[in-house]
Amino acid sequence: MKKHLFILSLLLAAATQTGAEENQPHAAGIESDGYVWNAMYAEKLQALSARGDALRGEIAFEICQGCHRATALGRPDGSYPRLAGQHATVLIKQMTDVRAGRRDNKKMFPFIDKHAVTPQEIADIAVYLQALPVPPDNGKGDGNNLARGEEIYARDCIVCHGNKGQGDSARFYPRVSGQHYKYLLRESILIRNGDRRNANPDMVSTIKPYDDKDLQAVADYMSRFAP
Amino acid sequence: MSGCDFWGTNVKRHQITRACLFIGALFGATPGWSADAGELAGSICMACHGEGGNSVVPNFPKLSGQHATYLEKQLNEFLSGKRRNDVMAPILDSFSKQDVPALAAWYAAQKPTPGTVGDPGLLAAGKAIYEDGNVETGVPGCMGCHQPRAQGNARYPRLAGQHQAYTLQQMNDFKSGVRDNDKGKVMRAVAERMTEQEMQAVAEYMASLQ
Repeated sequence: MKKHLFILSLLLAAATQTGAEENQPHAAGIESDGYVWNAMYAEKLQALSARGDALRGEIAFEICQGCHRATALGRPDGSYPRLAGQHATVLIKQMTDVRAGRRDNKKMFPFIDKHAVTPQEIADIAVYLQALPVPPDNGKGDGNNLARGEEIYARDCIVCHGNKGQGDSARFYPRVSGQHYKYLLRESILIRNGDRRNANPDMVSTIKPYDDKDLQAVADYMSRFAP
Repeated sequence: MSGCDFWGTNVKRHQITRACLFIGALFGATPGWSADAGELAGSICMACHGEGGNSVVPNFPKLSGQHATYLEKQLNEFLSGKRRNDVMAPILDSFSKQDVPALAAWYAAQKPTPGTVGDPGLLAAGKAIYEDGNVETGVPGCMGCHQPRAQGNARYPRLAGQHQAYTLQQMNDFKSGVRDNDKGKVMRAVAERMTEQEMQAVAEYMASLQ
């Protein structure tokens, strides 16, 4: 009986939730059977095949600037990542995955929701951001364990993310150079723990053996690539 | 009606019109607005929105220097019922959709007076919210859209120098959903994440900007 009351109160709470903020939808991700990484669906394809326009993108990006900053350099505390210089393909994948609810991000959702931006604007924003300059003043780690970071990077990361952390646009692998240390670390931990639900399963199995200290070392190493 | 009692001063309508036309002339010939718009503003809108759109009543917004695109959108949405306000409701018979572009352009061309700061103790907190937002609760910095000095642009309204009471009321209306004509539901999402203290502080800070 108690349990029923509890469930009832939860349902009531959900039903009476007021205000305009809409909940992010939930799409099946890496936790579900038959998950296909970077599966294509209408909206993602639409954005990827649209011809992006950087000038329109600069305007559409205005609603993102309150968090990611006017030049898309994010914040060194890692709360918001740098987007400047990231591959357009990667940006489109992440934006559409948040929108579809495959990458959980309640904070960002209202600003990338269909009310706020169109698939064409997603493409526009992506080409605008891709061409922005990336200064080397991103947040770094403490620099105490860089040899270990280099060792891990050379063994497991370099194959996909490149010898300069440049990533691979065609394969949707993100650029990691110039990114804030704290953001790299946070996302690495989320991916390892299976909590970044749109992650690449190969990335998850690769990162699995590493403890937090290792991830700190490699995030620090990556944050020091010349952008 | 030959005049009205305006905060103790009896002002004749033609004097107001003349004053407005004079102010308009100071700024040169601005395309898009006509003497008719100035007359409409001076006869109808001025009672609440003040001379040249510089309202002196904190509940009524200043319209001077506001972007014409924003003013047009708001006026059209008052007319269509998308934006609702009890004070504006009886005024809506006084102008039509055809008057909107000229009226908006006229107010956009007026020079705004500096805002009034009620509580300077809130300015530092207000500046922090305005520029950085609140990372914990996901409030974006206002300046992302409203620009570094709250000057706005063709897509987002100017908030600099606006009455604190008016800005605060609008944020609360977005938060409760009473006002729901925001582009992309963005302001409702932002206001919903803000505390009353944050809204008070940021409204005070915006009032301090010119």
